[in-house]
Amino acid sequence: MNAPTQDTRQAASRLTEEPWYLPLGDEVQMFEAAYRARLPVLLKGPTGCGKTRFVEYMAWRLYRQSQSARRTIELPLMTVACHEDLTATDLVGRYLLSGNETVWMDGPLTRAVRSGAICYLDEVVEARKDTTVVIHSLTDHRRVLPIEKTGELLDAHPDFLLVISYNPGYQSVLKDLKPSTRQRFVSLEFGYPGVDVEAAIIGHESAVEAALAHRLALIGDKVRNLREHGFDEGVSTRLLVYAGQLAAGGISPRRACDVAIARAVTDDTEVQKAIAAIVDVLLP
Amino acid sequence: MTQPAHSAANQGRVRFGDIQRFLTLFAQGLSGSFFHLKVSSPTAAGGRSSRISTDGHSIYLPADIADFAAAEHNLGSYRIAVLHQIGYVVEGTFDFDLESFCARWHRPALLRRVFLIVEDLRIDTALRRRYPGARADLDRVLAHALAKRPSVSSMRPLSALIEGLVQYSLGGRRSELISSNEALADLMNAAEAVCAEEASIDDSARASLSICANLEEYLRRAPRRVSSAAGDKTDGPRDRDPAGDDEFLLEDASSLTVEFRGELHLGRSRTQQGRQIAIPGHETRAPLQETAPKDPRGGTPDPATPPASIATSVRRSSTTGPRSFLYDEWDYLRQTYLSAWCRVYEHRLRGDDFAFISDVRRRHCALGAEVRRQFAFIKPQSWQRVHRTIDGDELELDAVIEAVIDRRSTHAADSHLYLRRDRALRDVAAAFLVDMSASTDFPIASSKLRAPDNPAPDRAPPNSGLYLYGGHEDPTEAAPAPKRRVIDVSKDALALMCDALQTLGDSFAIYGFSGDGRDNVEFHVAKEFREKLSVRTWAALAAIQPRRSTRMGPAIRHALSKLAREPAGMKVLIIVSDGYPEDHDYGMDRNDREYGIQDTARALREAERAGVVDFCVTIDPAGNDYLRRMCSQSRYLVIDDVTALPRELTKVYRTLTS
Repeated sequence: MNAPTQDTRQAASRLTEEPWYLPLGDEVQMFEAAYRARLPVLLKGPTGCGKTRFVEYMAWRLYRQSQSARRTIELPLMTVACHEDLTATDLVGRYLLSGNETVWMDGPLTRAVRSGAICYLDEVVEARKDTTVVIHSLTDHRRVLPIEKTGELLDAHPDFLLVISYNPGYQSVLKDLKPSTRQRFVSLEFGYPGVDVEAAIIGHESAVEAALAHRLALIGDKVRNLREHGFDEGVSTRLLVYAGQLAAGGISPRRACDVAIARAVTDDTEVQKAIAAIVDVLLP
Repeated sequence: MTQPAHSAANQGRVRFGDIQRFLTLFAQGLSGSFFHLKVSSPTAAGGRSSRISTDGHSIYLPADIADFAAAEHNLGSYRIAVLHQIGYVVEGTFDFDLESFCARWHRPALLRRVFLIVEDLRIDTALRRRYPGARADLDRVLAHALAKRPSVSSMRPLSALIEGLVQYSLGGRRSELISSNEALADLMNAAEAVCAEEASIDDSARASLSICANLEEYLRRAPRRVSSAAGDKTDGPRDRDPAGDDEFLLEDASSLTVEFRGELHLGRSRTQQGRQIAIPGHETRAPLQETAPKDPRGGTPDPATPPASIATSVRRSSTTGPRSFLYDEWDYLRQTYLSAWCRVYEHRLRGDDFAFISDVRRRHCALGAEVRRQFAFIKPQSWQRVHRTIDGDELELDAVIEAVIDRRSTHAADSHLYLRRDRALRDVAAAFLVDMSASTDFPIASSKLRAPDNPAPDRAPPNSGLYLYGGHEDPTEAAPAPKRRVIDVSKDALALMCDALQTLGDSFAIYGFSGDGRDNVEFHVAKEFREKLSVRTWAALAAIQPRRSTRMGPAIRHALSKLAREPAGMKVLIIVSDGYPEDHDYGMDRNDREYGIQDTARALREAERAGVVDFCVTIDPAGNDYLRRMCSQSRYLVIDDVTALPRELTKVYRTLTS
């Protein structure tokens, strides 16, 4: 990894189209209220429950639907998928060799702070501890980003907002968020939706017919009862959508569930068989 | 379900032992509750004919099924049996207090019989609706069960009607049943109400009351006509007053259990928090009112109660209980694993001795400080600089200069230009498995309590009579110090370890094990990996007490399954015991120590294969004899002096994880 843009696995979105998102509760109103007060937001929830989609949707609402100058920001959302080798340098920036000189390259966090975008640090507990220290000064009344290597103290753009996500049930829970970090964020908790809502999501995202979407949602609900058998997260809505997409593409629903659910969530053959049997009795 | 099997059936025979875990997961997934799936014994269902039953917590199933030639069909029979049993829970049958309900009518046995038939019909109909993929299996099983039903032609009138109802519930043709007895039409119409999508247990209660009232009315009006219609040529006892029929009903052929439905054990309400179910749709007939003096509470019926309602109390089903897990066991005599042989029950230890840890710290303050000092040496304190990396926090000047020189001299420049700072993190997960067998209750000789290598605490309170295993006697204290047992020393050692491990930052868990036979291996959890140390943890540790036997193999396997879920790079299992593995059925011969030793050795080899570093610490002086057969010499330690356990345990841990 030679460049920060690759190193941080950054994904920036221009958000020219409205992302589809089905609200589960009052999270949209809560996020908007937090944004108005520029309060940093912590999203908690299991994998594949829609946290990233929610942030994209909110970025679209707040930036693309806005009548303010925010509308002109080219990249309203900077998403960084955190991993265990991600350092503060990866977020803030670093000097690179260019020809015979060194040039400073902003990291995604710095770019968001300068431009007034939303910076979304996905699975922040995965990152190394020094990254959390960097975000502290951005998440209180100071709203500044100290760039140690350039000696710069960067004031955050008025539209900047920091959003992090965190998965309490994930196996790396040993890397817990420190209270000093956690208590800088308002926390929105996400879970897997109920069967009817999840069926609507599956139906929309995979374009399968409503009856099959409902059955897939039911399968997800039942398979989550087995989450203690090696897949603590349960089966994600994302995987159910995958199963739906495979079925919509002509694969038999049972086979689609086999590859997208049973074999995706566990390597335990007995659990795979049990999931296959659950799928078998629930599908017509 | 098993027949004296012919060869085709034998080929397709499915054995419960082979699919037990699969079925358990299947049931848990669909119901959301954990059920213990067990092989039924002749007495499992109360000594009756059925081998399938449930009490809401456990499901008893036959040891094998060979009803069909194809194995998948027999597997389907198992699935239907499980679906039907969990259907009782999912559909609310266990929320119903059947005994109280039946006691409200003057013929409780009849009402009970009819209710169970109707309820089974409701469950199967719901099963068909909920699980469309199971319909083929259900149809096959229903047809098989229907084919085994007795003919109604030779039955007594009441029994014939009830048997007709059973056959209707199994999918018997309505027209054929009505042709055998016209009275069945009304009964089937009443029963059909429970086939509606929204039908509940209340509907089953209403339908069964309606059917019973029909039966009574019908038999009272024309008992001889019914006998004639049923082809019954005999008079006398068979046409006797139906009011006296309850007893024969229980023994009649029509009471033959439908095997895949099994027997339902619904007792009186197990909790006092009942709700009242009103059944307003049922109009109680005059004979019912007149002959229904029974009040389950022993009093007379409340005249204020509307005659059209029957109240029952119900309970909320509860499936909470210790979780159990099945593990294979190594049979060294046959050189094979016995599949799903041992059942490990996982119990959560809870204690109320919240002063335990402060007591341990006070008694062992010098040793505790020493342990912490030892651990401080192995705790990484600094950052590690990694030079010339492809990516890092800052450019490394030497590498940059070389790269510039290379570039100017038109050589390929090395891209490893960065300096990176990494913290040498410990990545250890350690499980401590403590023997809680009865032998750990053995008191430690008083001479050992004054071990010279266990100095008095540095700052012991002047009047603290106890320090270090309680052996020090304060001359001013009249009362003798309490006897310290092997288990007490183990607990002290663990407490000191845990106290020090906090500073080290390693993830660790504390478990105890004991048991009584292969079907009841106890695995006690004092602390799980992800839990933080708290007063509850210390109290749980204090609650470790001597219990029963030492079936070590399944306990090790269960600890390994827990370690497998930890993401740590290094995994350690330390077993603290006071003797060889033994249990009353650990092997064919109770005196055969070799069986337990071989199984434990096998479990330790499984640990090795799973990448877990295991270590056995035993305080049995004879430990060398069997430990060397269980594990390599570098993997065990025999401690002659039990009081040295805390210090030795610390050394072991340091050595293993440094």
